[in-house]
Amino acid sequence: MNYSLQFGQIAADVPYILSGAWPTLWITFVTFFAAAVLGLFIAMARLKGGPLASRLAGIWVTLTTNSPLFVVLFFLFNGLPNWGILLSPIAATLIAFIAISSGYLAEIQRGGIQSVRQAELDAAETLGMSRLQILRFVIAPHVIKTTYPALSNFFIFTMLGTSMASLVGVNELTGRAIEVSSRTFRSIEVFSLVAVTYVVLSLFASAALALVGRWLFRVNARMI
Amino acid sequence: MAHLEISGLEVRYGAVPVLSGIDLAIERGELVGLVGPSGSGKSTLLRALVGLVPPAAGRVVLEGKDVDYASKTSLRGLRDHAAIVFQQYNLFQNMSVLDNIMVTPVKVRGRPKAEAEAEARTLLSRVGLGGKELAYPDQLSGGQQQRVAIARALALKPALILLDEVTAALDPELVRDVLDVIKDLAGEGITMLLVSHEMGFIREAAHRVVMMDAGRVVEVGPPSQIFDAPTEERTRAFMSKIIRH
Repeated sequence: MNYSLQFGQIAADVPYILSGAWPTLWITFVTFFAAAVLGLFIAMARLKGGPLASRLAGIWVTLTTNSPLFVVLFFLFNGLPNWGILLSPIAATLIAFIAISSGYLAEIQRGGIQSVRQAELDAAETLGMSRLQILRFVIAPHVIKTTYPALSNFFIFTMLGTSMASLVGVNELTGRAIEVSSRTFRSIEVFSLVAVTYVVLSLFASAALALVGRWLFRVNARMI
Repeated sequence: MAHLEISGLEVRYGAVPVLSGIDLAIERGELVGLVGPSGSGKSTLLRALVGLVPPAAGRVVLEGKDVDYASKTSLRGLRDHAAIVFQQYNLFQNMSVLDNIMVTPVKVRGRPKAEAEAEARTLLSRVGLGGKELAYPDQLSGGQQQRVAIARALALKPALILLDEVTAALDPELVRDVLDVIKDLAGEGITMLLVSHEMGFIREAAHRVVMMDAGRVVEVGPPSQIFDAPTEERTRAFMSKIIRH
């Protein structure tokens, strides 16, 4: 227990480590939105697709929600080069994250779509709404509202999960921390700083999501 | 020419016939009550008329025009003329009362928002809900929601309104409010087809009553005939059970 905290030794590296928050955030955003859109298509394929599309979507969800992200990431980054497919760290990260997240997001959205009351769909149809209008005015607001808390949680979960990208050499928050820690040997200082940064980012994201949610619900509320 | 003419209408759920050989003509401005035991096909008839359940055979003529349930254009024409109000109100939960009423006139029919809003407000005060414009369906009682559903149907200025057990899910005290609204409408020349178990109301307000059983029309006649002197044995059996309660 001779380790004494010496934050002074990493002071010069603090801005470098903290600016790793940007790659963390953009990887999170790209992953989340791409996976949400992909997930919506998968959910629709499961619910409204033909027997083949529905089955394929089901297999995709089973595979992605039952594979460890870490293994998929290493498969893409370290395995595929043996077949001559060379992916950059960031490409491997995005593909792995989007693929795995799409399965979970498909299931969340499928639940939301299935919870739309048939009664409201009947009413919309008899009021003369087109399919697109039913989607726009009845289904979408309902799905957003009912799935919003789960989607918000998943967003935070994705953000924290991006730390895994450091394992294939992506220079985000954790990647930079590993780099500085191996150079300065001040692991406790470096990783406590990074841990606090993740907590701050998560709290900030939660607050932002809550505000967006309120704004969205108001939009839902005032359709016209 | 009858306002609504149904001939040989058939509906099947899979291989099971739910409606068979329905023939019915309804005159403009007429209030027709549809009675019969549960499962006799009353609600299905209304749902088939608005195209929620595809008919297997038969002909429906509204305002002199054949309705083709396979054609989107024809269905749109039908829905411009006919509105349905459901037992469970079926309001859009994510919209305020005002938006529930305005969404179709503005977004589907492309009417100016200000005009539609003024009309929606008038309709709401007419059904006794002035002041509830910004409330959400889950903040209203069943009776209030049902009156919003009626206002929503009226906002489309339908010539024909189909009412599917609109008071069945309501607290007995609230039933009267809704029935009063329907009675008002009957006085304005809107054609109405009303499925209901409110026999007292049908006897009092309907011009004619249709007795249905097992997916068929058993008897059609004025309330005095159906309630007091039915010609069919099935109607007599049904009425004898109901009136004694």
